[in-house]
Amino acid sequence: MSATPSASAALKMDQATTDVGGGAAQTGDRARSGRGAASPGGVPGWLARIDFTPLRSFAILLLVWQGVAVWTASPIQLPTPLRVGAAFLDLAAEGEITEHALVSVTRLVVSLAIAVVLAVPLGFLMGLNRKIDAFVDPLIELLRPISGIAWIPLALFIFGIGDVLPVFIMVYVAFFALLLNTISGVRSVDPKLIAAARTMGVARPMILAKVVAPAALPAIVVGFRLAFAGAWAAIVAAELIGAPNGLGFAIEWYRELLMSPKVFAFILVIAVIGYVCDLGLRALQRRLTPWVDEAGHSS
Amino acid sequence: MNGAVNRPKLRLQGVTKAFVAPRTGHRTLALADVSLDIDQGEFVCIVGPSGCGKSTILNIVAGLDAPTAGIVEKDGAPIAGPGPDRGVMFQDYALYPWQTVQGNIGFGLNYGAPGKSMSQAERDARVAEFVKLVSLTGSESKYPHQLSGGMRQRVALARLLANGPDILLLDEPLGALDAQTRIILQAELLRIWGETAPREQRKTTVFITHDIEEAVFLADRVVVMSSHPGRVRDILTIDLPRPRDESIRADPRFGHFADEIWRLIRDQALQAIA
Repeated sequence: MSATPSASAALKMDQATTDVGGGAAQTGDRARSGRGAASPGGVPGWLARIDFTPLRSFAILLLVWQGVAVWTASPIQLPTPLRVGAAFLDLAAEGEITEHALVSVTRLVVSLAIAVVLAVPLGFLMGLNRKIDAFVDPLIELLRPISGIAWIPLALFIFGIGDVLPVFIMVYVAFFALLLNTISGVRSVDPKLIAAARTMGVARPMILAKVVAPAALPAIVVGFRLAFAGAWAAIVAAELIGAPNGLGFAIEWYRELLMSPKVFAFILVIAVIGYVCDLGLRALQRRLTPWVDEAGHSS
Repeated sequence: MNGAVNRPKLRLQGVTKAFVAPRTGHRTLALADVSLDIDQGEFVCIVGPSGCGKSTILNIVAGLDAPTAGIVEKDGAPIAGPGPDRGVMFQDYALYPWQTVQGNIGFGLNYGAPGKSMSQAERDARVAEFVKLVSLTGSESKYPHQLSGGMRQRVALARLLANGPDILLLDEPLGALDAQTRIILQAELLRIWGETAPREQRKTTVFITHDIEEAVFLADRVVVMSSHPGRVRDILTIDLPRPRDESIRADPRFGHFADEIWRLIRDQALQAIA
């Protein structure tokens, strides 16, 4: 199962941005198999099974951050972790974080749903039919290099400030990741799997449903993870300018008020939501396509 | 009606297959004038050096490839396309990785023509029967990536048989296995094929291999092919008694057949590595 060059390049980017999680998952497995249920040195079994590597890397990040903040001594440019933490608790207590996070996550979910509905069927059509592919592919290749963010100014004229603009930008970003991976998934179905179905007297529509679709699923799931990562990165930019609420809006709002700790607090929220969602998507991927690895290759 | 009784189950007459490379237009002759009659219940092995078109013959009989020239008939009717009457077991098994052992064995029954007139309960019962036949009871819910090579091979064999084909086409089905497992599965294959049954009840089988001893152990006849282009070099009748077991390998005639086949293909095999 080979992804298109662009898709695999994008995947590498994705893996780079979520590297901490990937490394942690692996060391976690090792810790589990190494120590197992036994509790050496009187450490309770459940505690031995928890992997603390990510916590350690987070601790180092905090230390470096604290050091640089003290050194620059400019609370507006770089507030200390402690002040950001305090701002975070403040915002959480007032319900602002939940409010804006809920708005952004709702937009994300709606955007990904729209992108799936548009991109996956089109990907199947293009993957299966050369004529449709030849017709649509030039448009795709023309639009694909344009960053979603480049459309924000124009989208402001068209949609104004509101929900539609960030959703439009995210659908745009998610669409290409899903489309290209769906096409490559459909095209890279092992011809022997189709031949085998034909020799068993399976009709074409059934081959599509029971062979091509499940065979393309790993690539589609990888595409979905890329779509999520791209859309979540784009939402901040879109909301920064084009929305009356949401995490990106909150960042811009507190920037104008020169309240850096709160700006940082919202950046933290974006990071944590992205991180947790990616962990969730990896788990979903393992459930949906247990026969392939995380990059979508058959094992 | 007497003519029908003597008619071969499978007939290949003057079969030629040329492949044309899509970009260069370069034409390669994979098969040249292959003629072969196979009788009902016969177990025929095809051996030959790589590039002799063994797999091409199989694909043509399966209906997955059409010959460039020549006649391919089953029971006197031309073969026009793939069908569940001719079951294929592919070299790397072509199991569906998202289906369990049960799902793979029942694939043709659940989604294809062989199970059209069956109820779901009948299909499930048939799957269970073939799970048992290949000794996979207890592994029904496992996925192919959780199975050993030998177990995957059994799943593929059970899937092939569950569809009830009257011709079995096997493309190096034991090729990916280690030597010990191969020898065990060769004997098991003969058992499942129905060696003890009368000939009319056995499945007509075309078995492709590059292992000469495997061919002698299994076959009623061995078709030796030569390559570039693929031609039938010779056909040997292996008149060793059935049922066969391990002891037959010690029979002097067994060695004689193996030597004979090796003599026929060694020149080309040597050329291939030179």
